[in-house]
Amino acid sequence: MAKEDRALLAHLLRRAGFGATQAELETYAAQGYAATVEQLLHPEQAPDLELDVLRRYHIDQHSLMLIDSAQGYWLYRLINTRRPLEEKIALFWHGLFATAYGKLNHAKAMVNQTDTFRRYGLGDFRALILALSQDPAMIFWLDNKDNHKDAPNENYGRELLELFAMGIGNYTEADVKACARAFTGWTIANADYMTIRSYRDSIWPHGRLDWQFVYNPADHDDSDKTFLGHTGPFNGADIIDLICQQPATAGFIAGKLYNFFVADTPDETAIGQLAAEFQRTDGNIRAVLRALFNSDFFRAPAARRARIKSPAELVAGTARLAGSHRFPQWSIVNLAMDVNFMGQEILNPPTVEGWHTGLEWIDTGSLVERVNAAALEIGDVNQPGVQEIVARIQERGAELSPEQLVDACLESLGQYEISETTRASLLDHARRQGNLRFDRRGSAACAAGRIAELLQLIVATREYQLA
Amino acid sequence: MPAAYPFQYAKTIGFLAERGRGFNNPVDLALDSTGALYVLNRGGTEAGRRLAFKRISRCTLAEDYLGEFSSGGTDAGQLWWPSSLAFDRSDRLYVADEALHRITIFDRAGAFLDQWGQPGSGPGQLNRPSYLTFDQQDNLLIADSLNHRLQQFTKEGAFLRQWGGYGSGPGQFNMPWGIAVAEDGRLYIADWRNDRIQCFDAAGNFMACFGESGYGEGQLYRPAGLAVDAAGYLYIADWGNQRVQIFDRDGQFIAAIRGDASIPSQWAADYLAANPEEAAARRQANLEPAVARRPEQTPAEYEWERSAAVEKLLWGPTAVKLDAAGHIYIVDSLRHRLQVYRWAD
Repeated sequence: MAKEDRALLAHLLRRAGFGATQAELETYAAQGYAATVEQLLHPEQAPDLELDVLRRYHIDQHSLMLIDSAQGYWLYRLINTRRPLEEKIALFWHGLFATAYGKLNHAKAMVNQTDTFRRYGLGDFRALILALSQDPAMIFWLDNKDNHKDAPNENYGRELLELFAMGIGNYTEADVKACARAFTGWTIANADYMTIRSYRDSIWPHGRLDWQFVYNPADHDDSDKTFLGHTGPFNGADIIDLICQQPATAGFIAGKLYNFFVADTPDETAIGQLAAEFQRTDGNIRAVLRALFNSDFFRAPAARRARIKSPAELVAGTARLAGSHRFPQWSIVNLAMDVNFMGQEILNPPTVEGWHTGLEWIDTGSLVERVNAAALEIGDVNQPGVQEIVARIQERGAELSPEQLVDACLESLGQYEISETTRASLLDHARRQGNLRFDRRGSAACAAGRIAELLQLIVATREYQLA
Repeated sequence: MPAAYPFQYAKTIGFLAERGRGFNNPVDLALDSTGALYVLNRGGTEAGRRLAFKRISRCTLAEDYLGEFSSGGTDAGQLWWPSSLAFDRSDRLYVADEALHRITIFDRAGAFLDQWGQPGSGPGQLNRPSYLTFDQQDNLLIADSLNHRLQQFTKEGAFLRQWGGYGSGPGQFNMPWGIAVAEDGRLYIADWRNDRIQCFDAAGNFMACFGESGYGEGQLYRPAGLAVDAAGYLYIADWGNQRVQIFDRDGQFIAAIRGDASIPSQWAADYLAANPEEAAARRQANLEPAVARRPEQTPAEYEWERSAAVEKLLWGPTAVKLDAAGHIYIVDSLRHRLQVYRWAD
């Protein structure tokens, strides 16, 4: 397979997943780009993770009561999933429909919400928004349990229009009020008890209790409402129908998808193409992503490295390459903490607006954290993924020149395109120790160490920070 | 509770506590010669102040709190992934640790006595020891889960023998968990990932195997700890199905327990009495809400979700222990309590 084709597949897997090992890339390459896109778009055809072993050893990830347990659980999924786009789209919707543990004090409710994103995230946008509107974590987060027939609370109605589906400027204040009234009566079971537990952060007497969605017709305002120019006794589902018909919704979601999957800087022409596909398919997210991954703008070399990796992408991707945490180990919590320290507390975004992405991921503190965490992970020669990299490099010959060594290490991390400056720096380092040899007594361990060191340098480069 | 249900729910012991009176993800229970209960708290996560959640709590059936000892850590006498505990005939308490691959020994008062164990797969080495118990000779039997075998040691840690190995054939294991020793010397092993119980004679010869994957009566999904009484009844923590099943000595299904802890423990009642506003809201709540089942959910997945929402149900039961008075103690790990039953009169 040509280097250019491998580079394109590596690009696809960084965006539609969390990167790929060289062996995985070869498997994908054997079936070709188009087939790989289809495979990624249909995660249900790949086996799901088996959670029994995880739950056995990680008892705290079994009940998911604590936020750090839930973060470790999701990170384990990101690292080990055989359905990469399912996790990636869940991360996307989590960032867009940002709900935070900090207010809920209920980590499993957050995990349940991400399960909803896995189930609906690649399907019909209308079904997703309906499920979101019935999601207990969202109901709690944006106070819809306090949205009563005689005392509407506009929080969910407002954010649904402004932040989740349409964007500011595409509706009026009257539409917000009508939207809120339509969702009156959409609440959770035992709302009073669950509210007092949450506000007191009460885990007593026996841990958290899962929240359940309930619809209370007696508390629903079924009078006529005028919303986006339509009038009727709308309920929440009717409102969602009207939202999904709006061209503004298509453009809004297309823009968010572009920003997450393609580039930090928007391209209105490309976003327009995605919005058209959204409208053509009545909001089928799978179809929009198919168009995106097969588009010229996504496949163009200019799109590569056009995004800064989020902390979750960086940590999960590096762990996948290193092969760490393929089996449940207590240290997953440390890896989850690394993501937090880099500025992305998954399941606990800072506000309802989610995280500010792109260049805002990087500051002096977070950059050091990113480089250190990645280098620590990829520099551990005891990790199976690193050992696999060493073994594959050894297959290239008993002796490798510095140039061959650098190229082999870059390829093993899916880094097919780096600047000449970066390559020169890596070569400079490799040349200091001469050729890499496997054929002398004791040289294998030394070679493994040199390879690990070079891998550490690569994950410290500017290019590795980019998706 | 069905009329034919041969057990009575007796009481609940426990309350979620990060330290002090209460439990935190208890995984096993042992009774000393006086009948005092020693509850092994696995806690989690393994970070910062949460390490203190790991400990051994002491209390009585009457819910008298007697104190606690040990904590999270890797030093001698500390715990990291504690998995199981048992008393020998001298009232010395042996504790297995799946992360440290070692056995730690305490006296009844909680003083550290000794430790042994080496990680590895050779004879006498350990890879995530999940369960331990004593046989009729007061030798230690250990379920060496990731080596897929049972090992027998002296109390001093000298290796005696091993059997098993990875597989699904008779006498083979896939991540074994619980062990029970019957009065006639038979051994029952929860062959966790094979969804079955295997029975061996005292010499370790395979005798029988029962159970199969599923949620029906007599079927198992990831069985964990188990106990056997004098009549030969076997009590199995059917961990993946969120219940305990009782089989007779021939492996025939007798009954299943799904959980009945609708009345709080005394410790919980004390908490609610001290927090009247929360208690009042709780009294108004329906603590047995309907949980919708999604079409794609397996029975085990659905029951897991139901246990997460309905407080009285067992959630992640890891062990069953018996006492001389006929009590059946179920370690209800994710609800931080023991549910106690006894045979119906």
